[in-house]
Amino acid sequence: MTLTEQLDKLLMKVEKPARYIGGELHSVNKDLNNVKTRFGFAFPDTYEIGMSYLGLQIIYHILNNTDSVFCERIFAPGIDMEGLMREENLPLFTLETKTPAKEMDILGFTLQYELSFTNIINMLDLAGIPFKSKDRSESDPIIAAGGPCAFNPEPLADIVDFFMLGDGEEVLKKVCEIHQSWKARNGNKREFLEEVCQLKGIYVPAFYEPIYNENGVLQAIEKKYEKAPDKIEKNIIEDLDTVDFPNSNVVPLIEVVHDRAVVEIFRGCTRGCRFCQAGMIYRPVRERSQDRIIDIAKNQIASTGYEEMSILSLSTSDYSKIEPLVTDLMGMCKQNNVSLSLPSLRLDSFSFNVLEQIQGYKKTGLTFAPEAGTQRLRDVINKCITDKDIYSGMEQAISLGWTSVKLYFMVGLPTETYEDLDGIAEIAKNIMDIAYRMNGNKRGRFNVTVSVSNFVPKAHTPFQWCAQDTMESFEEKHRYLREKLRKIKGVNFNYHGTETSHMEAVFARGDRHVCETLIKAWSLGCKFDGWREHFKYDKWLQAFKETGIDDNSYAFKAGNPEDILPWDHIDCGVSKEFLISEWNKANHCEQTQDCRRGCVGCGINTHTECKQEGTL
Amino acid sequence: MSRYVLQFYKQGYMKYISHLDLLRLFKRSFKRMEIKLQHSQGFNPHPKMSFVQPLSLGYTSVSEYLEFETNEYEEPNHIIQKLNEAMPDGIGIAACRAIPPSKKTLAAMVEYASYELKFKTNHICDWNEKLEEFLQQDKIIILKKQKKSKNLVEQDIKPMIRDIILKDSIVDNNIITLTTTISAGSNFNLNPENLMKSFCTFLDIPFEKEAISIERKELYCSTSEGNGLVPILKIEFKN
Repeated sequence: MTLTEQLDKLLMKVEKPARYIGGELHSVNKDLNNVKTRFGFAFPDTYEIGMSYLGLQIIYHILNNTDSVFCERIFAPGIDMEGLMREENLPLFTLETKTPAKEMDILGFTLQYELSFTNIINMLDLAGIPFKSKDRSESDPIIAAGGPCAFNPEPLADIVDFFMLGDGEEVLKKVCEIHQSWKARNGNKREFLEEVCQLKGIYVPAFYEPIYNENGVLQAIEKKYEKAPDKIEKNIIEDLDTVDFPNSNVVPLIEVVHDRAVVEIFRGCTRGCRFCQAGMIYRPVRERSQDRIIDIAKNQIASTGYEEMSILSLSTSDYSKIEPLVTDLMGMCKQNNVSLSLPSLRLDSFSFNVLEQIQGYKKTGLTFAPEAGTQRLRDVINKCITDKDIYSGMEQAISLGWTSVKLYFMVGLPTETYEDLDGIAEIAKNIMDIAYRMNGNKRGRFNVTVSVSNFVPKAHTPFQWCAQDTMESFEEKHRYLREKLRKIKGVNFNYHGTETSHMEAVFARGDRHVCETLIKAWSLGCKFDGWREHFKYDKWLQAFKETGIDDNSYAFKAGNPEDILPWDHIDCGVSKEFLISEWNKANHCEQTQDCRRGCVGCGINTHTECKQEGTL
Repeated sequence: MSRYVLQFYKQGYMKYISHLDLLRLFKRSFKRMEIKLQHSQGFNPHPKMSFVQPLSLGYTSVSEYLEFETNEYEEPNHIIQKLNEAMPDGIGIAACRAIPPSKKTLAAMVEYASYELKFKTNHICDWNEKLEEFLQQDKIIILKKQKKSKNLVEQDIKPMIRDIILKDSIVDNNIITLTTTISAGSNFNLNPENLMKSFCTFLDIPFEKEAISIERKELYCSTSEGNGLVPILKIEFKN
């Protein structure tokens, strides 16, 4: 029986079989005779999540625009499908040609969140590929990985052959070129890795070895291959207008999480929130030009038939010409009967004006992220918004007829006290008071949802030296807030599970030792850890115990800026000196300005030009 | 305003996309091809477009129908050409016909559907004889789950079966191919799986859903006179 016949049998029995069929509008098929590099883009979660990720569309588009490269998609099968695949010995396959993943030349995983790591192991297992680089043969695919979690690649260092740091658009093409000449001369894998590690942004973990002293303290990161770079600098696309962007996205046949046309308007963020890894690793801000954005948006709408479009960035309102851009987009969308969605808007009068126009009577909920309950703590984390910003935004929202708002906060931030938690309750109460004042006794059915997540210290941020709260402390804080907020009518409260936040912290700052735990946890049945219904904390604890790893020593580690960190050889462009100075300023409740008001000296401008510096 | 009926096929992997997925696919395809659909009035306008009879997930079909209305008249041949450009492999437009506007939807006119059923079995018998015996029963009773109460109730499906025929009477590789015409639509509707289940019970052989592949061949309504059937595409409209 061929793989496709086998597959047909299974698909009759599974939930959402169309996750596995491919064949969508704008998906690509190529004559394999003309293809020299077969690249499997592997997303370690289900189809519906992976297909909502813009990075997949970009890479798929860029690679398939190269004649000699064929990029196919591979997703983690659902639990039901996986069970049947194992029963029937059906290997993990690509959607485009139903080829076993094992037959790809390069298998590239995207690392979007730490809790997807067990899915990588599971997918390798389903593909019949040994987990560790050292156990794989010359005929196995080369395993690559990229994405934000590649900035601390160490937990996966034994698994991945090479990591790609930073923007992938250009370096991926170069990697494929090297692959083709290497394949033509029948080289071995070592030779391939020696060659790609010369490219900017490529990290081959086997060429480095962390050295620990007898107390388990990291002493040095030693190079094992002389020509490998001392520090691996991330790739930066200087001008987004020069790189290709999908004009015709793959349009899923089934409903996915974000099922819409999407244009990235800029990369990076100038605000410098100290907890935010994205704000550090995607520097500097690079804007796509308005003409180009409108052009892409038009093309996408025409080629996909989508009824919704969205723009993407870390902070929409910070686009330098946001008003003309949004006005243009609104006009274009209206003309094409497409609804426009604008995420992460700052709540200023322009935004409200726009939201009023695009949403009219069909108002969706507003979301707003003060992150911390007091000005003091907001200064610590460098989230530069004031109480006044919050309340004047709410007044406008209520007067325009919004009936619900969702507020995002974090608990467990460095220097946090219970006064800061009181501040969260106070903000919620003050907003309800505004609603009563403006709408009268019935507060216009207005309600506030307070959503709390647990702070996770991340690599390459000023808080990388900060200990995470203990789980007991998180739970105590949740209880405290729940009690406080329960008393305020019209306020709902929800919070993230502490166990997953703890796991996230272990891997966000993990070193090579935690890889064993990862494999052990997988063997005990852990996968889809980011899904509440699949997360198995007891199995994780067992895995830590059996591999002799103390999870707490990772999560609760309060580092010293002099320490050598497991990711010190990875250069995200922001200097360690800057991170240290930010960490010190945080401890003194000092703000750092938005770098559009003037350079703050993060160091990225020694790598590239900062076009937004001092523009405000 | 113009009204049309479209005949299309759904083959291969496309059998795994659901009714709602297909609706979204057509909606986007019309939009891409700039065929402007008429929209309903009200707070939440939606395009006037509906399938004549939903097809279960997992069935292929050579003759499905979509009814829709456009703002302006467009040559049916252009519509076929444009939509075929937009469709993924496995879905194709076979015919398009402009029909007179009416308050009665085509969905309300459907009375029968024909299917081809292929199933794998090791059972050996004279299939023609068994089919005849099966149909000659006074009643053919199945247990049907009530939609709301979930209670099982008995239902006689005999009046809903127009015919069952062993196709070419060739029994190949243990695969039996039957064709059948049974009630479909809003008044009486028989699920071909239930028919097969009932036939298997009659033969005292196990029924396995995965071992049966089902393809819809045609949807019909009755002719204005007599007992004949006419495919939806060929419906005659009285002026």
